[in-house]
Parts: sequence; C-alpha cells; structure tokens
Amino acid sequence: MNHGKMHLQETAGLYATAAALRLALFTLFPALPDLLTGRVEISTPVTSFKRLQEGLFLYNHNVSPYDGGVYHQAPLLLPLFSLLPDPSAYPIFTYVLYIMVDLLSAHALYKIAESGEAASSRLFTSARKDRRWSGYVVAAIFLFNPFTIATCLARPTSVFTTCAILHAVAKAIYGTPFTAMLSLSFAAYLSMYPILLLPPLVLLAYDRQHASNRILSLLQFAGTNVAAASVSLGALFAVSYLLTGSWEFMSSTYGIQLTLNDLTPNVGLWWYFFIEMFDSFRSFFLGVFWLHLSSYVGGLSIRIRSQPLAVVTLLLGIFGIFKPYPSVSDASLFFAMLPLFRHVFPLMRYSFLTASVVLYSTFLGPAFYHLWIYYGSGNANFFYAITLVWSLGLSLLVSDMTFAVLRDEWEVERPEMVGKEIRQI
Amino acid sequence: MPRLLSTALLMRRDPRLLKLPPYLSLLCIVVGVAWLLMLPLDDYSRRTYISENALLPGQVHTYFGGSDQNVFRAYRHEVDALKDKSNTEINDELENIFRGIGLKVGRQNYTYHSAGNTYSGENVYAILQAPRGDATEAIVLVAAWKNVKDEFNRNGLALALALTRYFRRWSLWSKDIILVIPPDSRMGTQAWVDAYHDAHDASRVASLPIKSGALQGAIAVDYPQDGRFESVHVVYDGVNGQLPNLDLINSVVNIASGQMGMGSSLQQMWRHSDKYDDRLKTMLRGMLNQGLGHAAGPHSCFIPYHVDAITLQPVGQGWHDEMGLGRLVEGTFRSLNNLLEHLHQSFFFYLLMHKERFVSIGTYLPSAMLIAANFTIMAIFLWIKSGHVEINSPSKETKSKPATTETSKAVEEKRGAAAERDLLLPLSLVAGCQFLGALPLFIFNHTPSNLLAPIFAIFSLINLTLPPLFSHLLQARRAQDKPITLQHYNLSKSFSLLLLGMFLSSLATLNFSLAFLVGLLATPLSFTRPWPGNAIAQYAYIALLNLVSPTTVIAAGAAAWARYGQGEMGVVQAVTEVLEEAAFGWDVWGMYTPLVIWCVWWPAWLVGSVVVLGQPGTAIKGDTKKKVL
Repeated sequence: MNHGKMHLQETAGLYATAAALRLALFTLFPALPDLLTGRVEISTPVTSFKRLQEGLFLYNHNVSPYDGGVYHQAPLLLPLFSLLPDPSAYPIFTYVLYIMVDLLSAHALYKIAESGEAASSRLFTSARKDRRWSGYVVAAIFLFNPFTIATCLARPTSVFTTCAILHAVAKAIYGTPFTAMLSLSFAAYLSMYPILLLPPLVLLAYDRQHASNRILSLLQFAGTNVAAASVSLGALFAVSYLLTGSWEFMSSTYGIQLTLNDLTPNVGLWWYFFIEMFDSFRSFFLGVFWLHLSSYVGGLSIRIRSQPLAVVTLLLGIFGIFKPYPSVSDASLFFAMLPLFRHVFPLMRYSFLTASVVLYSTFLGPAFYHLWIYYGSGNANFFYAITLVWSLGLSLLVSDMTFAVLRDEWEVERPEMVGKEIRQI
Repeated sequence: MPRLLSTALLMRRDPRLLKLPPYLSLLCIVVGVAWLLMLPLDDYSRRTYISENALLPGQVHTYFGGSDQNVFRAYRHEVDALKDKSNTEINDELENIFRGIGLKVGRQNYTYHSAGNTYSGENVYAILQAPRGDATEAIVLVAAWKNVKDEFNRNGLALALALTRYFRRWSLWSKDIILVIPPDSRMGTQAWVDAYHDAHDASRVASLPIKSGALQGAIAVDYPQDGRFESVHVVYDGVNGQLPNLDLINSVVNIASGQMGMGSSLQQMWRHSDKYDDRLKTMLRGMLNQGLGHAAGPHSCFIPYHVDAITLQPVGQGWHDEMGLGRLVEGTFRSLNNLLEHLHQSFFFYLLMHKERFVSIGTYLPSAMLIAANFTIMAIFLWIKSGHVEINSPSKETKSKPATTETSKAVEEKRGAAAERDLLLPLSLVAGCQFLGALPLFIFNHTPSNLLAPIFAIFSLINLTLPPLFSHLLQARRAQDKPITLQHYNLSKSFSLLLLGMFLSSLATLNFSLAFLVGLLATPLSFTRPWPGNAIAQYAYIALLNLVSPTTVIAAGAAAWARYGQGEMGVVQAVTEVLEEAAFGWDVWGMYTPLVIWCVWWPAWLVGSVVVLGQPGTAIKGDTKKKVL
C-alpha cells in the first residue's frame, strides 16, 4: 500500500495535468464533445454516447431500453448513468466520470510498465531489457495521445472496457488472478470481444503467481480461473436480467456484434463488406469473419507462450483492426500498450512507414467522410478506401511488432546472430 | 519475388540511392507546375457538355416580356422610392408587395460579430408554393439589396420582384420558388441558408418562421448597372473553394448563348480569345478565388450545403435589356424545375478555363499531389538518412571525439539492423511549432479591425526574429550535456515536411487550389539544411525563406491588391482589409483559409527556418557530417 502511495505521489502531477487538459478542452470548447460524439470514427453503434442517452431516456421512463433498436450497450451502464445528473443540463459530472476512467486506465498502465513484465517474464528475459520506459512515461504517452483525448471527449462507453482490460492485465501481473478474472469479465460483459483475451491472460496470471500460494499445474490453475471468470460473468448477466426483466439484452448487445445488423460506417472492415454482401452469403461470411478474429488467440498464445503480455498486446492490435465495430478508441488502447515494448523498438522495421500511414489516414479519413456525407461529391468508396489504409497501417504495426518480438526471442536463443540481416521466407 | 526483394534490399544500401531523393523532389515540383501549365491545351482540357438529361436547357419557350416590362418598371419605381429607407422599412414595404402577389412571407434577423465590428440586418423572403408540387423541393432566387461591391442592386431587385409575380401566374412549377432579399450580399444569405438547414447559432441568427422543401438550386441576380448589357458574367466560386455542379453553369451558358444570343463570361474575363493565354488566365483567376476561399457573391453561402448556386451579373454595353436577363432566369428555372433528383451527374471538381472548356479532377489533381508528394519524399529520405548517418560516416573519427564511451557504444549499436534515433527533441520542436500556430490564428481572428495593421506589423517583426531565437534557445539548452547533431535537424525537418505533405494532400481533395498555392509557396522548405561554416549560403537561404514567409506573402498580396484592385487605397488599408476579410470569413462563412495559413504553412516555415539557422554539433563534427551529405 505504501508503495502505491509512492506511485501516486510521483504521478500526481501527470494525472493532474492530464485531467486539467481534458477539463479545459471540455469547458473551453463546449461544442467539441458533441462534435466528436457524432464522429463515426470514435462512436460506433455499440459504444456511442448518443445512443446511450437514448437508452437512458427509455430506461428512465420505464420502457425497455432495447425497444427501438438504437441502444446496443450493456444494461448495467444504465443505472450508473441514471445516477448522474442529466448530461445536457450538468455535463460536468459526466466529464469528471470519463476523466476519472482515463486516469484509472493510466494508473493500471503505470503499474504494468513498472512491473517490467514486458521485457522479462518468467520464461523469457530479453537481452535488451534495460532499454525501457518508466511507468511515468508510458502513462504519459497514453494520457496525451490525441486518440485517447479524442476518445475521452467523445465519451463512448468503450473507455470502460479499456479500463477493465488494463486493470485485468495489471491484476494478473501483480499476482491476483481472481481479481484479474473479475475485471476481464467486466470487460467481456461490456463489449464481448475481450473474452478472447482469456487464454493469454490466464497464462500471464499463471506465470506471475505469488511464490507463497502457487498452483503448479497449469490445467488446474486455468480451470479455477475460467470458472471464476464464468461465475462473475454469470453474476453480471443475472443482475442484468433482474434489472431489465428479460433476456432481451443478450440479443441486443451481443447478438448485434455477432450478426452485424447495424451497418453504420466505422473505421473497420466489416460494414462495407456486409453492405455489399448478398443475403444468402451473409451468415457464412459472418462465421468466417468471427472465426478469423478468434483464430489469432490460440496461435499467438502457443507461439509466444513465453511472453503472454506480448500476446495480449498483439491481440488488442488485431481486435482494433478486425473486430465488428472497431473505433479509434481500440487503436488508442493498442497504442497505449505498445510503449511497454520499448526494448524491441530498434528491431521494428517499418516504424516510419506505419506512423505515416496512420497519420495520413487520420487526416484523410475525416476529409473523405466530409466529401461523402456533406459535400455529396464523393461516395462511400472514398471513406472505405481510407479505412482500408488505416487498417493497413495498424496491421503493419501489428506484424512489425510480432516480428520484433520474435526476433528478440531468437537473438536470445542464438546470440551469434545479433545484428545480422535476416530475411523472411 | 524473393530475388526481387533481396535486390531491393541491396539497393537500399546503395549510397547512390541516397543522393537521388532531392532531385526527385525537385522533379516533382517542376512536373507539378508544368502539369498545371499544360492544362489549357486542347489535348488536356475538354469541352463542356450537359450530362443531366432532365435539364433540357433552352428547350422551352420563355414568355417573360411584353407587358411584364411595365410591371418591371413599376417595381423599379417602388424600389427607387425605398432606396434610402432603413432595413426594417424596406422589409415592411417588400412584405406588402409579396402579400399583394399572394405569397407567404417570412423575416429573419441576424447579428454577426467579427474583428470588433457588429454586422446586423434583416432578411425578408417569400415562398411561392408550387401548384404541382408537394413542398418537398424548392429553387431559390436571390436578389440582395446591395451587391458585394456595396452597389445598390436596383434592377436586380425590380427584376426579381417582376419575375416572382410572373412565376405566380404559371401552373407548371413542380418545385417551390423562394425569393430571398437579404440587405447585403456577404452575410444575409449565410444567415438565411444556415437557418434554413437548422445549422445556425440561435444567439446570433433567428430561426426561419416558414420553410419549404430541400433546396435544389439557387440563382442570384446582381444587376446594379443601368441600361442595356452585352453579356452575362457567371460567378460560381463558393466558400472554401467549393464549386456548384458543372451542369448548372453549362445550362446557364447554354441558354444564354443558344437561346438568348447573349455572351457569357467567367472570372471577369470580359474578352476571351479562347487561346492559351486567356484560358490560362481564366484558370489562374479561378484558382486564386478558390484558394482564397471567400464568398464571391450572394450565391457562395449556398454551396457548402450542397445547394448548387451561381450569381448572374449583366456586364458591358450591348442590346440586351432587363427582360432578356429575366428570360435567362426563367429558362434556368424551367430547367431546374425539370430535375427529378438533385444535380449529381456532372462534375463538382473542375477548373473552368473558358465558358465551354474545363478540366476535371482526375486531370488536374496530380499537379497538387505531386507538389505535396515532394514534401513526403524528402521526409522519407531524411528519415532514412538519419538512420544511416553513423554507418556511412568514418566511425574512427567519431570515436575519437570527447564523449568516447557513449558514442562508441552508440556506434556499436548502430552497426545493428536499425540505427537508434533520438526522437524527443525533433518531435517536441515540431509539435511545439504546430501548437504555436494557434496563436496567430487566435490573434488575427480576435483583434479589432483598427488594430489589425499595427498588430500585423508587430507580428511580422516577431516572425523575423523567431527562427534565430528558437535556434539559439535550442543550442543553449542542449549545449552542456548533449550537443545538437545533424540528425536532430534532419529529423525535425523530416517530421515537419511529413506533416506538411500530409496536410496538403488531404487539403487537395477538399480545396485543390489552396493546396496547390500553399504547396508552391512552401517548396523552398524542401531544400532547407543547416549550413555550418558557410554563413553566406545560410543567410542567402534564410533571406529566400523570409521572402516566401506567410507574413511577406500576405503583405505582398495586399500590396498587389491595393495597386491593381478596384478603388484607391494604401497598402496599410489593404492589409487591414485583407485581414478583416479573413477574420470575417472565419467567423461568418466558416472559411478555413486562415487555419491553413497559420496552422499548416506557418509552422512548417518556422521549422524550416530553424533548420537553416542550425549549427549542428561542433565545427569538426559538422565537417564529418557534411561529407555524408
């Protein structure tokens, strides 16, 4: 606990600055939050703050929030937000809530970075482990990332998922697997896809158990943890059922992610594909897309078994590209985890290219969306082309990082090859 | 494929390849400019054509004339009688006239604040409900009380009133017709069209009491001159360089020349030989108007809402009378009335070089993109070079330098697959300069108009001293522990050019001309580099940079305008007016030209100047680095 206090003292200035910056943006530019809330790049059908308002209105008038087919978010968010005063009259409370969530995420990130797990895990220690950024720097990069700030201002509910995922990872690293599972089930409850992080997270928690009460058998450990996650997820579902009085929320929140009924444009690859799709092929390709998304989990967990944190990071990057409703906030979570792997940065080969591609698509995306929606002089292909470029940039980054992590491992195994040019075949 | 890749990898190491990009970059600029100059040639431009079949321009008989001439004269008397009345009195009288014709009337107040001035007024408008329509679509006829030059639009108003009365008699309209009479041409229509689309700020602009359907097109009549005219000047530039659908311009030109026998002209080219130099002049004037992004007439404010709009101005001395212009408007309205859907067939991005010749976006966009690409090429080149420096330089010399342990370790590492770059300083320099751009933007948009010229002068002076100051600060801060190396400058320049290239290529899709003009003026930034030891080159280059700095260009533009523009004025007054117009555009029209100048161009210029003034490392170190260059 004493240690935790020290963390806070060290980072209090950073957190205060980040909070002040966000608060200043909220108050000095009152039109900005609503403008960003309307951006398709940040607000998706399953995270949008506007849709949350709609659900909240229905909920407060004793109508099922899922009537009308606009609200697709978890039911437990409703009582939380109905406790807050009306956001249109007293927006400050909502602002403070979102700022707090951002700071909590940053704090979890700080703890992850301070543990040094990224460079030296139980099974693997990188030769470059001294080259790393402190938790302070990593938290600062997260807090002052423009994507994170834009996400915070637009107030999508994905920030809660981000926070839960980061806390799950932090708890797993600090040897409290059950809390980690509880946190992960919260994330999965809110937006479903984080359940795919379960295998690497269990491995991470297994590697980082406290010596005093360690369970040696991986199977036994995994069994208990999966059970813990299921129980807490079950409890969350039960509470939701009690709250809304029916199981309708299951199909409205998770069903929509599985069947992609809402085709509002976003930065992902699914919407355009399924707009063009003939109905008879729809279910087949939904299966293919989901299978593709989940297939990375097993492969990466096995191949990079020795570095579970790297697997979690890579998976977050992959989800940010290939999940049904991705947004800039998913990318910001990936960008937040990336600085933990400072030690492999020199091994990355396309960092400049990736940075330029991401930057270009960040600016061309809104421009092309504007041409399509407002000027009417472009069409949907303009925006889709840019989302392809954006995804290309992110996938370059993911694959480059995979390469760097693997090369780092390889150089430990074969020290004589350090610095030699290699070629992928 | 693997062999190809490995050859490519080998090529990457070739030192000759590293020499190429600056020339490539120069080539991009030259080709980009040459490309633009080629456009007026017959082989690269196309003849205009009507691509929306429903328009059928000039296929109907127009009947406006005869006894309507008497009506027109009567209205002109009414308008003359109102000339010196106040805005409200005029609108009271106009409202009476509209009610007399049997139209629904609405009025709207607006107040805008910009550069310390308050602009307010009241619009009056009338809706003629379509006998055959269901009020889902509407066409707009605009006759401002005063035109953009502040002349009394006497005949235009009378003509609009007479036309409205005439239109009322016809039963063939399938779209509502709205007649809007704003007291001026600069903000009245903006307030009206904002409110029509419920996009107005309710504290400044009142909501509209009555509305009709979606606007399909708008024609503004600007007819202050008395007597007969020779041809019609079509003004088509919208705010932020947006343009109306080409079909609308084509229809008007087609009706004017084919049916009425009038000439038509564009971009104030009263005499057009349709030869290369006249075409080029028309095109460049169009590009300048687009690049400035200001409203060229009362129609301009409609275009951002995707309502195609133009202004018609009768010019010259000829034999056409007011009735001819009325028939032109009637014919155009009949064409618009035919539309089954919003104009979409033809081009939205084009450069007109003659009333019947244009180039479309596919043909002209490469020239702006090439200019933007030159920055990106240099950025990539500098990035690669900054990673290669240590490998190529004679490492023994570097090793013998004071910070032995550190550099030798660095060299060891840099022998690896990737060289380490110190990114913090360049990143913070570039990011700092970018954020600093908000400062002039804020200052020039919030200064009262009487202080604009002095503030501009002070800012120009500060601008002159900023680069040396920054350069000095950088060196003073870093001198003790780690000196600034050439790598730092290369990386700063690389990031700055990357951002510039990115902004300009994004901008080129929205406003080609602005991107092209800014890109062209920023080309010297591609070739900046520190000249340690060669003071003459350094000062010559910094002088060149100051010659194309944003402040100099604004001052020079204002001076040119004062010299060649209409009306007599001094340079100081011209600067004031230019800046006032920029602030007005920013506040009222949502014009983003100031943003591009202060937050895209100026930061890049600042970083470029700092790079030129840079003194990397110690003198000896600079020498070794120079060999690498």
